[in-house]
Amino acid sequence: MSVAGIFRDILPLLWSGIISGCLYGVGALGLVMVFKSSRVVNFSHGNLACLGAFVVYGLSSGSLLSLSWGSAVALALGIACAVAVASYALIAPIVFKSDLASTIATLGVGLILQGAVQLIFGADIVNLDLPVPRFNFSLGAIRISSYDLAVLVVTLAIVGGLYVIIERTKLGVAFRAVSTNPFACEVCGLNLRSVHLFSWLAGAVLGLVAALLIVPTTFLSSTTVPSFMLQAFTAAVVGGFSSLPGAAVGGILVGIAMNMFSFYVSPEFMNTFLLGVILLTLNFFPNGLLERAIGGRV
Amino acid sequence: MAVSDLAHVSKAGVPARAGHVDLARLSVLALVAALLLLPLLAGGFLLYSLSLCFANALAVLSVSMLVRYGGEVSIGHSFFVALGAYTVAIVEHRLGISIAVSLPLAALLGAGAGFVFAFPSRRLSGIYLAVATMALALALPEVLIGFEKFTGGFEGLYIAQDLIPGVSKALQHYYIALAVLVAVSLALAHFRKSAQGLALLMAQAQPRAAEAMGITRSWARVSIFTLSAALASLAGALTGFASSTVSPNSFTFFSGVFLLVGSVVSLNGLSLSAALVGGAFITLVPTYLAKAGDWVPVLYGVALVVVTLVANAGDLRRFLPRGRAR
Repeated sequence: MSVAGIFRDILPLLWSGIISGCLYGVGALGLVMVFKSSRVVNFSHGNLACLGAFVVYGLSSGSLLSLSWGSAVALALGIACAVAVASYALIAPIVFKSDLASTIATLGVGLILQGAVQLIFGADIVNLDLPVPRFNFSLGAIRISSYDLAVLVVTLAIVGGLYVIIERTKLGVAFRAVSTNPFACEVCGLNLRSVHLFSWLAGAVLGLVAALLIVPTTFLSSTTVPSFMLQAFTAAVVGGFSSLPGAAVGGILVGIAMNMFSFYVSPEFMNTFLLGVILLTLNFFPNGLLERAIGGRV
Repeated sequence: MAVSDLAHVSKAGVPARAGHVDLARLSVLALVAALLLLPLLAGGFLLYSLSLCFANALAVLSVSMLVRYGGEVSIGHSFFVALGAYTVAIVEHRLGISIAVSLPLAALLGAGAGFVFAFPSRRLSGIYLAVATMALALALPEVLIGFEKFTGGFEGLYIAQDLIPGVSKALQHYYIALAVLVAVSLALAHFRKSAQGLALLMAQAQPRAAEAMGITRSWARVSIFTLSAALASLAGALTGFASSTVSPNSFTFFSGVFLLVGSVVSLNGLSLSAALVGGAFITLVPTYLAKAGDWVPVLYGVALVVVTLVANAGDLRRFLPRGRAR
C-alpha cells in the first residue's frame, strides 16, 4: 500500500472514528457519573437505553402510536427517567453496604428491562432514523454528512451542559464533593441520595441520547444497543472509570481504534478487540490513560 | 484483631454445633444416594435434564467460589464453560480421543485462560474485573463463529465417543456428571479447611494481615480466578459431554449472566445442595418455561434483584419512613 493511499484512507477513518467515538463517550459519561457518585457499575445502562430507543420507535412509527419524533423522544425520556428512579430505588437499601451486591442488582434490573423489550416489541429488527435533513459535502478527503454534524452538535451541547452543571451549579459542587469523599459529605449534612438520584437520571438521559444517535448507523434490535454499551464500558475503562473528561476522550480513542481495527484487520472480531483493549489498559494504565494523578479505588 | 477475625471467618462455613454435624452429613449422603438410585426409576428426558443440571451446578459452583473467596463478580464465565466444552469436542474431532483425556485437559486449559484473563486486573477492585468479564462474554460468540475451522462455526460439533464402552449413553452422561460434581464439592469442602483456602479467605477479609504474612492480595485474586475458571471449564466439558453437542447457540452473552443468577439464587453456597439448587434453577426453568421464552429474563432478573436485596439489606424496616434511626 502506498503512502498516499494510507493518507487517503486514514483521514476518513479518523473522522468517522471521532464521530462514533463521541457517542461511545456520551454512553461512557453516563456510566462514569453513576460510578463516581454511587460506586456502582450500572450494567442496566445499555438495556435502559435500548428500552428508550424502542419506545421512541414504537411511539413514532405507528406500531404503538404515531406521534411526532420530538414528542416520542420526550415521552421516552420521561419513561427512561422514571425507570432510572425506580431502579435506583430498588438498590437504594444496599447501595452503601456493598458495591458488588448493588452491581449484581443492576444486572437483575438489566435482565428485567431486556425481557420487557422482548415482550413488548418482540425480536424484530427495525430502523430508526434521525429526523435531520439529508445533505453531505466534502472537505478535502473527508465526506461530512448531516448525521455527522448532528452527532457533533449534540455531543458538544451535552458535554458543555454537563460541564456547566458540574462546575457552576450547587448540584455540581455536591456531585463533585460526593464523588471525592462521601463520608465527609454526610457529616456535613449533604443528602447523598439526591446526588445519587441526579447522577442516575443524568446517566439514563445520556444513555438514551447515545442510543438514539448510534441506532441510525446500524439498526435497532433487542441486542444491538446493549452490546453497543460494551464500547461505552471500554471507553470508561480507557478513561479510568472515574474521570468524566477521561470518559469523553476515551470514547473518541476507542472509536478511532475500532475503526482502524475493522478496516485494516477484521470487522468480525470487534468485541474481542475491545476485550484486548480493556485487558491491556487495566494492565498498563490501571487508572486510565489520563488519570495518573488522581487514582482509582484499589 | 486480625487473628480473631480470621478465626471468625474460618468458623463461618463450618457447622458449629456438634449435634448438627451428623444430621447435615446424613442428609447430604441421603441426597447423593437418592441421585445414585434415580436412574432406576426415571429415564429419558429427565435423566438428560439432570445430567445438564449437574454440569450447570458445577459451573454455578465456579461462580460462587469466585464470589465467596474473591469477593468478585463474573458475568463471563460462559467463556470458560465454552472453552471446556469445545476442548472435548475438538480433541475428539482432531485426535479421536475420548473425555478421559479431554476432561483433565479442559480443566488445565481453563486454568491457563483464567490466569491470563485475571492477571491484568490483579491490582484493581473487583468492579474492573466485572467489566472485563462483560467483554469476555460478548467476545465469546465472535470467537466461536470466527474460528470456524476449529469450532465448526454456527453448526458446532458433535461429541459421540463414550468413556466406558458398552454402557448406555444416558447413564454414562448422568453418572459421570454426578461423580465429578460430588468430587468437586468434596474437594471444595476440604479446600475450605486447608491452609491454602484459609490464606485466600484471609487475603479477602483482612488484606493487610494477609500481606504481613506474605499473602498478597493480587496473588490471591489471580489464583482464585484461575481455580474458578478451571472449575468452569470442567463444567463446560461435562455440559458438552452430557448434551453430545456444542454450538454457539448455547453460549450467548446471557449464558454468563445466567450462571451468576444461579450462583446468587443458591446464595453463593459452595455445598452440593446449594450447587444443585443453582444448577436446577438455570437448567430447568428455561426447559419447563420454554413457551414463555421472553418471560425467562424477567423472571431471572426479578430473582437476582430480590435475592440480592434480601441477602444484603439486613433489617429492611430501617427504610420505612419512621425508621431512620441511624
